[in-house]
Amino acid sequence: MSLAAFPFLAFFLALGAALVVVLDAVARAALAGAPAGPYLAGTFRHAAMRLSGQLVTTEAPDRANWRLAPAWYGALAAAGLAVVPFGEGMALIQLPTSIVLWGAVEALVVVVVFLHGWSPNAPFPLIGAYRYVATGLPVMLPSMFVLIGAALPARSLDVLAIVESQREMWNVVRQPLGLPLFLIVGLSLTLRGPMDYADSADLAGGSSAEDSGPARAMWQAARLAMLVAFSAMAATVFLGGYLGPLLPGPLWLALKTALVLELMVAATHLLPRMPVSRMVTFLWVVLLPVSFLHLLAAGLVAL
Amino acid sequence: MAVGGTPVFVAAGGGVLGAVEALRLEPALTLVATPRAAQVLVVAGEQRPSDRIALARIHAQLFEPRATVWWRADRPSGFDFGTGAPESVSDAAAFISAQATQSEGEAILLDDGPPNPWEGVGPYGQGGNGMMGGTPYGRPMAMTTDDLRDGLALDAYSATFGPYLTQWPPGLIMETTLQGDVIQSVRIVEAPLAQDLLAATPHLELARLLRLLELPALADRLVRAALADPARAAAGLARAVRWTGLLAAIPSALARDESGGDVRSRTAGRLDALSAGRPADPAAPGDLAAMLIGLEWHEAALVLASFSIDELRGAIASPAVRMAKGAA
Repeated sequence: MSLAAFPFLAFFLALGAALVVVLDAVARAALAGAPAGPYLAGTFRHAAMRLSGQLVTTEAPDRANWRLAPAWYGALAAAGLAVVPFGEGMALIQLPTSIVLWGAVEALVVVVVFLHGWSPNAPFPLIGAYRYVATGLPVMLPSMFVLIGAALPARSLDVLAIVESQREMWNVVRQPLGLPLFLIVGLSLTLRGPMDYADSADLAGGSSAEDSGPARAMWQAARLAMLVAFSAMAATVFLGGYLGPLLPGPLWLALKTALVLELMVAATHLLPRMPVSRMVTFLWVVLLPVSFLHLLAAGLVAL
Repeated sequence: MAVGGTPVFVAAGGGVLGAVEALRLEPALTLVATPRAAQVLVVAGEQRPSDRIALARIHAQLFEPRATVWWRADRPSGFDFGTGAPESVSDAAAFISAQATQSEGEAILLDDGPPNPWEGVGPYGQGGNGMMGGTPYGRPMAMTTDDLRDGLALDAYSATFGPYLTQWPPGLIMETTLQGDVIQSVRIVEAPLAQDLLAATPHLELARLLRLLELPALADRLVRAALADPARAAAGLARAVRWTGLLAAIPSALARDESGGDVRSRTAGRLDALSAGRPADPAAPGDLAAMLIGLEWHEAALVLASFSIDELRGAIASPAVRMAKGAA
């Protein structure tokens, strides 16, 4: 695919982010027992105000990293989406090992979120950063097992081959534990709900507690972009990506991405967040063995 | 992620917490957790004279043009800016939202300078004996000390938190030393301020806990039910809250009170009270400062939210100068 794909990817990210804003407002209003209209109208007004707002700084921050962290985060989302195929042979970056590139994106998110929390030189962001690293590592390990499991039936590390391997049966059926495990990874990558250890309520917003004006808007936008990129990858690896009858491939991928976004938004608003040590214990003691069994089962099925 | 109307930071004082929760439901406003994200500062309720400096700091963190609204609040001396809002919640919400665009800006009260003189060694405070750098602006280099939990020595960091943290009971001030996010020592400087009757309903007590567990939408639903009729049994609502699995998310045996209950059992008790339409059973925290030592920041916040504000006030003789230190 040529460079003409860049505007298309940007459009896909923007459309997905707008959908998340709507879904979030609807879910929140439904649970709160309030009409969704005012929530929604306010969100867009809110975003416009943020962009024109003033940047307030802290004492002696690491300014370069503070400003760059949202840009890195957004760039990682774009890089992740670039390996997602929108049709046969239609991925911006075609690599024989493209699923490994996605794995690198996941690992670098931990670095970027840490930088974002460390650079303002303030206690709440720093605590958020520490906590995110503590949960980030044990989240990456199940992610690795899940992605390797998905690569086994394809006998390839190419995302394109993983999609093609699902022509007979989607991975969500063949490997039923894969998608739920991967969704937990996604909640962590996008700092949402039960896995929001960096930007949490008990830290008054954690790593973004000191963000103001356009920098705050940028960080929130980058979170949304990463959510869209993650959901497109989840739809590709577990729901057959662009495969489907009648409709064109990109449309199928968009529909399946929207489905994953809905699952993510529901999990955000319905599940509580455990304290860190309880979550870390859960990740190492329960989730890691489960993901290993998942990989074992996936391997036996693929034989 | 914030949704809704004009972003507002509420610096809540005494006797106003239930009213602030009602303000949260107004679609014209979004209550945010940090003044950095706010367009308007709302100072609500009775203000302690000793909190003047903290209030001035919050005000200084707003972006320009700063806008302050006083709601059901008495102004401390020196704070002669901002406008007073109408008493009623819906009128106040419309008034506050309008201030976002009408303010012509307010000057800050504090000096925009370092808190202490520069006493560092070397151009960036990295010189001197053993590269310790002196004490730049009154802050010596953070040093490692023994850790309470796993023996991993981390830099100890001391700071005063409160009185306007929105995730804590209003008015509570604690001097805390942290390593990572683990609390190493606590000194309670000021007890929380007494609040209105609405804030003591099981609905609002559970709502404060749910926000700490990242369930703000359900918390709003509880506030809505309390505003409709706090005495009505709400078994369906209690069930909906239970179904999120929040009791399983809370660690067991966290912060045992004097009758042996923990955060989980106190929360379960509140849910029972909610479904029966009665007040929650009382609990006595005992030595609150000692209870918080060794906990993670999030756990400590859950512990504070698991007691009613009156119970916390009862446990702290204010102005308490209770010192509790962990085993070194």
